Amino acid sequence: MIKKSIFIISIILFAFGGIFFYQYAKFNDGKLHLVFCDVGQGDAIFIRTSTGSNILIDGGPDDSVLNCLSKHMPFWDKNIQLIILTHPHADHYTGLISVIKRYNVMSYDTENVENPGFGTKILQDNLALKNLSAKYLQKGDKLTNQSNFSLLTLWSGADSVQDATNNSPSEAKNLDLNGFSVVELLSYGSFKALLTGDAGIIVEDKIAKEVGKIDVLKVPHHGSKTGLSSLFLEITKPDLAVISVGAKNRYGHPSQEALTLLENNNIKVLRTDMNGEVEIVSDGRTWKIIN
Amino acid sequence: MPIKLLIVFCLLIIVLLIRFVFFYSSKSNYKDGQVVRFETTLFSEPQFPAGYQKFTVNLSTGESVFVTAPSYPQYKYGDRVSIFGTLKPRVIKNKRIYTMYFPKIEAVKSERGPFLAVTSFVRQSVTDLFNKALPPDLSSLLLGIVFGIKGPMSKEFVDNLRLAGVMHVIAASGMNITMVAGFLSSIFMLFLKRQTALFASVLGIVFYAFLAGMQPSIVRASIMGILVFSSQILGRQSLGAYGLILAGFIMLFISPLLIFDVGFQLSFTATAGLLYIRPLFNRIGKLNVLSKKFPLTEDFFITFSAQIATLPILLATFGIYSLWSILVNVLVLWTIPTLMILGGVGAILGMIFEPLGSILVYLCLPFLLFFQKIVLFFGVLNGVLTVQNLPPSFILGYYLLLLALIFYSTGSKND
Repeated sequence: MIKKSIFIISIILFAFGGIFFYQYAKFNDGKLHLVFCDVGQGDAIFIRTSTGSNILIDGGPDDSVLNCLSKHMPFWDKNIQLIILTHPHADHYTGLISVIKRYNVMSYDTENVENPGFGTKILQDNLALKNLSAKYLQKGDKLTNQSNFSLLTLWSGADSVQDATNNSPSEAKNLDLNGFSVVELLSYGSFKALLTGDAGIIVEDKIAKEVGKIDVLKVPHHGSKTGLSSLFLEITKPDLAVISVGAKNRYGHPSQEALTLLENNNIKVLRTDMNGEVEIVSDGRTWKIIN
Repeated sequence: MPIKLLIVFCLLIIVLLIRFVFFYSSKSNYKDGQVVRFETTLFSEPQFPAGYQKFTVNLSTGESVFVTAPSYPQYKYGDRVSIFGTLKPRVIKNKRIYTMYFPKIEAVKSERGPFLAVTSFVRQSVTDLFNKALPPDLSSLLLGIVFGIKGPMSKEFVDNLRLAGVMHVIAASGMNITMVAGFLSSIFMLFLKRQTALFASVLGIVFYAFLAGMQPSIVRASIMGILVFSSQILGRQSLGAYGLILAGFIMLFISPLLIFDVGFQLSFTATAGLLYIRPLFNRIGKLNVLSKKFPLTEDFFITFSAQIATLPILLATFGIYSLWSILVNVLVLWTIPTLMILGGVGAILGMIFEPLGSILVYLCLPFLLFFQKIVLFFGVLNGVLTVQNLPPSFILGYYLLLLALIFYSTGSKND
């Protein structure tokens, strides 16, 4: 009996040691991992930097983001250095509630826009429970680390309001929460990806010049017809466009207009509803898609 | 079978029939579109698919209602709610159930009994402990294995569990009760008199059944476990297979509608399979030798016996039979007792000192990963037999043949 127990315990420890080594090697490969999680109709983008920091941009419409995180982080790593909520819509924030409950989130950035409701209230409650207060992003905010990684805020809600009131008050009324969405430019060495949330054409055309040539574009607003302009694509020239969208969603995303536009510009398209999650790995010079 | 027992058996059947007649004559039959208001307690955890909240509650007559509601406010196990809305009958898995879309739900502020307060607290702290340590799918898998608690799982993982034929491990049943009862009685025996220890263990079983959410499989197993313990308290020998019949009688007497419940049907036929079909293998001399040589043979016999007994119900209800299921079960079943011990002890320790509990839960990880990989591998292979519309005459014929075979083999033993 004792002999048997010792045998079983050794097997457990051996297996455990193996898992430790395997996961350590797998998740600390010194490369940037950019994952567009398959969360159905919504957005959740996970970034693991080359130095092993974890960043989550939006949380999707339900708990499926948790599976995505556990798949791309070592099991003992419960720290998420930064969460960014691009704008307070349910298909972007709901999953964050469970993430905040289960993980040790170190900071929380969003835009200064309210969307009163049950869901956002629960999000606020859970943030408060963990003593997290929101930091409001502004155009030009830049997050960097020792490696060549940076996350630059190109647009946020406050900018929309200011911009619109400066130009024409009538335009301000046309901007809904989607228009307010935070837009982030991720750079790692020469690799560049534009993470657009649900931003619309008005915003994109304004920032296109600043963005310049990029490698990967997260197609704004799940590929809705208000998301893409031909001018924007011509300036940014992405090689890959990722559409984060749920199969048979009731909004009819992605729109035929957006798909045609992408096709006409010869941009490779990957969709989470058809291709599942999309993972991109970069060493700062080259990048590749992992299936 | 002695004549006395036969008479008792017939009496029980007659009592049950009378109960059924009364039940159905007094049953208020809800109509399509009928508006009802009722108060009920949640005994399962709601699920939260994108943008919704879904849970099952019982009407006062015992019928279940599948409720779809907005995601907020979130309800949980143990909540008492008042529901007002329109009933729509639907047929799911051969079972007629009622559905309600977005009824008016109000939380009823009532003094929770101390019992429900404790089970709610234990469920919450165990769920939190497991969730913090493990990835969501594996955490829910462990919650299912140890406590029969239905946690959120990715659709992919649920599909694969079904396709691989191991869905049954996430429902609490006989093995859980055996472990709980064995664990509690051996602890209580240390400092209590035998009779008192057995009695305390019976209370422990009842507590566990509530904790697990009172699904038919766990109720069946609890009643059988309690019968075994009671017979020991009273100084009698174990009741053996009669325990199963008695458990079924008690459950159907209290809730006649259970006879249409798939969980109830599967739990009973599977247990009957273990009690009556499993021993038949022992009678084949060569197999006996084999089971002593190879460690997993017992798991094979158990799976095989349970499947022979449940096959028509599985096919009629789910329309599929996983061709890999016997192999998958043999490959993974050995992890279950270890997971129950690690997870169960971890849960108890975790309530006293969390880090200690977490360590044990972490130790489950290698087994859970193994389980998951096997299930994914065979789920993807997709060896599934699909059967549409299994005629009732086939099911009847199957069970009659099976009964005949069991009677014949059991009888010939006595010669």
